[in-house]
Amino acid sequence: MLKSSSLNGYSFIIFSLLISLFLSVSNLLTAQNIEEGEQLYNSNCTACHQIDNKLIGPALRGVNEKYSEEWLIKWIKNSAELIASGDADAIAIYEEYNKSPMNAFPYFSDDDVRNILAYIDQAPEKKAVTTSLVSADGGAVVDSKTNDYIILTIAIILLLVIAGLWKIKNTLKDVAGEKSEDLFQSTVTLLNSYLESKSLVLLSVLLILGIGTNSLWNLMTGVGVTQGYAPEQPIAYSHKLHSGINGIDCNYCHHSARHGKSAAIPSANVCMNCHTYINEGPSGKAEIQKIYDAVGFDPMKGQYIEGYEQKPIKWVRIHNLPDHAYFNHAQHVVAGGLECQDCHGPIEEMDVVEQHSELTMGWCIDCHRQTEVQVANNDYYEEMHAKFKENHPDESFNVEAIGGLECGKCHH
Amino acid sequence: MTKQKKYWKGFAELANDPIIDKLRQNEFVEEIPIDDFLANHNNLSESKTSRRDFLKFLGFSTAAATLAACETPVVKSIPYVVKPEEITPGVANWYASTFYDGNDFANVLVKTREGRPIFIKGNDAPYSSSPNARVISSVLSLYDSNRLQGVIKRNQSISWAKADSQIINKLSNANGDIVVLTNTIVSPTTQNIINDFSKKYSARHIQYDTISYQGMLEANKESFGHRVLPTYNFEKADVIVSFGTDFLGNLFNKSFEKQYIANRQPKKGKMSRHFQIESNLTLSGANADVRIPVKPSEKLNLLENLYDSLVGNSSPNDKLKVIVDELLNSKGKSLVLCDTNDKTVQVMVNAINNILENYNQTIDLTRPIFTKSADDNAISQLINEMNDGKISALIISGVNPSYSLPNASEFNAALSKVDLKISTALSLDETASLCEYVCPDRHYLESWGDAMASFNRVSFIQPTIQPLFNSRQFQDSLLVWTKSKINYYDYLKDYWSSKVSWSSSLHNGIIELNEKRYFVTKFSGQVESIKTKITDLELSLYQSNSIGDGSQSNNPWLQELPDPITRSCWDNYLTVSASTARKYGFSNWNISNGALNGDIARLTVGNIVIENVPVLIQPGQAVGTIGFALGYGRTASGKVGNGVGINAYPFVINNQYTASDVKIEKMEGEHEFASVQLHHTMMGRDLIKETTLNEYIKNPKSGNEQLLYDTHKGKLAPDQIDLWQAHDHETGHFWNLGIDLTACTGCNSCVVACHAENNVPVVGKEEVRKSRDMHWLRIDRYYSSDMTKEIANEKEISAVSKYKAMEVPSENPDIAFQPVMCQHCNHAPCETVCPVAATTHSAEGLNHMTYNRCVGTRYCANNCPYKVRRFNWFNYAENDAFDYNMNDDLGKMVLNPDVTVRARGVMEKCSMCIQGIQKIKLDAKKDGRKITNEEALNVTACSSSCPTGAITFGDVNDKEHYVSQLVDDDRSYQLIDHLNTKNSVFYQTKIRNRKA
Repeated sequence: MLKSSSLNGYSFIIFSLLISLFLSVSNLLTAQNIEEGEQLYNSNCTACHQIDNKLIGPALRGVNEKYSEEWLIKWIKNSAELIASGDADAIAIYEEYNKSPMNAFPYFSDDDVRNILAYIDQAPEKKAVTTSLVSADGGAVVDSKTNDYIILTIAIILLLVIAGLWKIKNTLKDVAGEKSEDLFQSTVTLLNSYLESKSLVLLSVLLILGIGTNSLWNLMTGVGVTQGYAPEQPIAYSHKLHSGINGIDCNYCHHSARHGKSAAIPSANVCMNCHTYINEGPSGKAEIQKIYDAVGFDPMKGQYIEGYEQKPIKWVRIHNLPDHAYFNHAQHVVAGGLECQDCHGPIEEMDVVEQHSELTMGWCIDCHRQTEVQVANNDYYEEMHAKFKENHPDESFNVEAIGGLECGKCHH
Repeated sequence: MTKQKKYWKGFAELANDPIIDKLRQNEFVEEIPIDDFLANHNNLSESKTSRRDFLKFLGFSTAAATLAACETPVVKSIPYVVKPEEITPGVANWYASTFYDGNDFANVLVKTREGRPIFIKGNDAPYSSSPNARVISSVLSLYDSNRLQGVIKRNQSISWAKADSQIINKLSNANGDIVVLTNTIVSPTTQNIINDFSKKYSARHIQYDTISYQGMLEANKESFGHRVLPTYNFEKADVIVSFGTDFLGNLFNKSFEKQYIANRQPKKGKMSRHFQIESNLTLSGANADVRIPVKPSEKLNLLENLYDSLVGNSSPNDKLKVIVDELLNSKGKSLVLCDTNDKTVQVMVNAINNILENYNQTIDLTRPIFTKSADDNAISQLINEMNDGKISALIISGVNPSYSLPNASEFNAALSKVDLKISTALSLDETASLCEYVCPDRHYLESWGDAMASFNRVSFIQPTIQPLFNSRQFQDSLLVWTKSKINYYDYLKDYWSSKVSWSSSLHNGIIELNEKRYFVTKFSGQVESIKTKITDLELSLYQSNSIGDGSQSNNPWLQELPDPITRSCWDNYLTVSASTARKYGFSNWNISNGALNGDIARLTVGNIVIENVPVLIQPGQAVGTIGFALGYGRTASGKVGNGVGINAYPFVINNQYTASDVKIEKMEGEHEFASVQLHHTMMGRDLIKETTLNEYIKNPKSGNEQLLYDTHKGKLAPDQIDLWQAHDHETGHFWNLGIDLTACTGCNSCVVACHAENNVPVVGKEEVRKSRDMHWLRIDRYYSSDMTKEIANEKEISAVSKYKAMEVPSENPDIAFQPVMCQHCNHAPCETVCPVAATTHSAEGLNHMTYNRCVGTRYCANNCPYKVRRFNWFNYAENDAFDYNMNDDLGKMVLNPDVTVRARGVMEKCSMCIQGIQKIKLDAKKDGRKITNEEALNVTACSSSCPTGAITFGDVNDKEHYVSQLVDDDRSYQLIDHLNTKNSVFYQTKIRNRKA
């Protein structure tokens, strides 16, 4: 393509047309291959390579122009062999990258490699994407402002309807020869007739009282309930990207959920397991740099900075139980067999984590009343369960039955 | 037998003081003083707060609280940057380590949470020494805010580098002698390092024991050729005769409870016979089957009489007749001990044990104990040399001679003549404050180390926390000053790696080496007469169960730990018998709020006079003797320990812990004791059930007869006439706690372990006086008169005088200890009266207490027959009025994160360590298995810290659990069972091995 710029006007157009024709045909022919190549690339290459950036290995854009296909197939399938054979290009790369050998992929067929190379050629250039975090899914998030406008419009329409009806009523009265009322008079008549009806007054008083009590109740019980709390975090970490798109298991980072009471925010060294190599995310490098700032890592050199004073990351706590309530993750995740999502909601779809559940005592207890104990294949429950069925044949063996509502179990 | 005995807690109770009756009925003697305030018009009119002001405050605080509630505060969560691999947040790690401070020695397991040690219990590996109350409390001493934060030179902080270069310079240019003064060193590596240091600077190493065992050491040298302390095998001794030795309290820093109780298991039909001949009532005396109170001088005369009788030179004294017979009948299976720190006496004891063929049976000299080996003459010689200006440098580590020497002022004067004085104390104690440089050592929980406390058995010390301050281990300091390149950790590792497996030894905490045993010659020695003149009044010094030698006196847990015998805390005092007190005009009385007050005295021994010493009347104290606890009266221990009690070390004359020709005079004034002996007095019969071994063998239920009610259906046991519906205790767990009164020695370990595990606050002396101590677990100590129906029959005493004699305050009462915590009634009186259901019942047999529901009516405490509920009268955390560990950030690090710190206005009580129960249940669920007996025994702080296994815990629905076998035992009973509260805590009758 680059060469075409040196051609003059007319022939350039023809040539371009030919080229684009060729490309579209070849696109059609190789479409399947590029897709396969993308898959192979994503599962085999991304740990060390990026298309446009140097990582552990070199940036891959333009690799097809730089080396012959035959050479590349040999190199990718077994680079060590190629180096051993004394190939000058191979040795040069080996030297350039501190003699760290590239993994061999002997199980790739030649076509596999071609597919990958085709994908690399076609791969779109990444722009600095600023993902709009909250409404990435468009309609998923309801815009409260739109809602207000709708209500306002409906209210105006209703007012207009009322005005229209009043006008019609007056016209009808005119027609009937009755004395028409102005707006003020008719309101007064309406009020008078309303106040004369005791049952109506009572009803409205009750209604107002009811609504009042209800909203007061909601206000009071809502004190300290932070459902939906989604504060801005020091690092714009996205669970959607890590857990949802990349499919990292929750336990990888929150491993202590299986062992202890707290699921624990992972320490920065856990982040570094992957981010030693991945220094750029969809929103650029800035957020990942914050991890490096915490642990003292130089992504350019790929080394930890010696004598660096590490700075802990001060996350904002979202799920915060009062001190007098004891909660144990292991109890629920391992013994109870719950999924993280049961309490935390669709965390793998959240860019910004929010508190999904109420985390009130009523919420805990409701679940304890409904949840059956996971007795299967657990010797701990065996005798207890048998005895329970014997003594309480009609009751269900739920968390309540093993004392899940007893105060001291959580308040001690 | 029980029915014929009267049990009493103190003289006031015996004398039917009306206060006692009030205390039985109510929680407090006094009414809550609301009326005083409201009925007093002057008070009200003088008050600056008007009614209008009150309303303003009320309005403001309501508005403020409402506004504050609207905004949920932002909480930060800060994870590790690099998480240590072994730490899982919320999961405790345990490390084996060793406590040795020159006074106590124990193999311990340290519980750490997120890198903070929070609890200490005994290591149950073979050959381990179990920790006492002081060792368990040592975890709090780690977080002592009084500790030095770095090196100090004449009260100015300087850097280690500067201090080191100055010290090295001064050491190299020293004109006179250089002396390293330490406690007895049991660490082979430390000894090597001291030797290297000594070689480099031609220094001398002097060891000084705060509590001396010189007599026994010298006697063993003379009799057997080795200057060592023997290992006693109490488990092999069928007859134990102790002339004053308190082996259950303080002997060689090792605890012997476990071995002692091992041979006192009534189930086996055999118990050792224990005779205690002593002046002060000690723990050993309280547990003895026969206790003979005598003066210290008379004790020695009796010892000589015993020797003479055994060799056939004379006939035994009346008091010893039985003892001599029994000793002769169990040759090789007996043990005679004496506490007198005198070579001649100890040689005689050796001779007696030799006659009784006890060596290599109950006494093992081939496996000696090394925890005391100092020569008392060395320190006196050092003082002379310092006075002569011969010493130019003195390095002091692990000892506090300016406080603990009887002639401390002499030492201090001599010390001022030394050019270079270096202390490695952790805080600026009495000695350190006189030193030029203080190079703070590390607390043992921050240190590396080893300890060969007894032959061939090496214990290891490993750090369980990063050093809190800029401190350095003593060994490292010596290595730096020796200009050695190696640090102590490498030194230690190199030393042991060649001999043993380093990591497994550290993991286990204690290992046994396989070196040749000590060769011991046959007994040889000249037995000399020890006849002593008996004087009118004699003094006997002792180490209290909580404070010991005084090194941990800045530890508020220990200060508030009531002495198991006197039941007083925050004090030391002269203990005298009732008749001695009468003779000298001393008395104790209870003031209107139930607190104990007493007279004060002037105590004179030779030319040493101490004034204003409080006098406490102590049943069981030998007539004509005075007891006085060491370890108090510190002046530079810190905010907690300073000024508590009176220093008794000046009375240690010639390293003797007894003194004759003592004078005591009453002085003007009175003393306020913090005595808990009448607190939480229970109303009920048969709190203690006891019998003798013979009776027990005849009828295992003896002493444990159940009370029967007369009903229209005939005589019925309380549990057969029940108004209430029973809980289903068959399904799931049913936790029970068993307490064997025979095995309980009253050692206090459980009390302090409970304190540590459950964040129990320290309330201070004033509050203790108001019956507001917060201990969830108390050990009630009961006296009972030695007059029983059997004795009356034997001696043909008439019924009238028999009952009279039963009520006479005895000079030598029987003692019974009874640990009492919440009994977890399954028909709980507290639950029915709580208006807000803050105390509720669990299907697992526990009585739950929900602090966040409690509104503080205190109805529950009023209705509790066991008086085990404790009310938070104040916020004890973060309150300057209670300036103990919970008032500073450092001290708060010891708090157990799994237990709520209670706020003002709520009730609290024993939860049976529910946090531990929940933990083992979860562990079992995760692993898909049943809970093991071992796990259950370690759940409650009390059962896991009990050195004798007197307290057991487990699930009675699981036949594998030990407690399920005990609950139906013939000895088991429930406290105040006629109330039919159906407790989950049960007791087992106390059995004494008595021939009556």
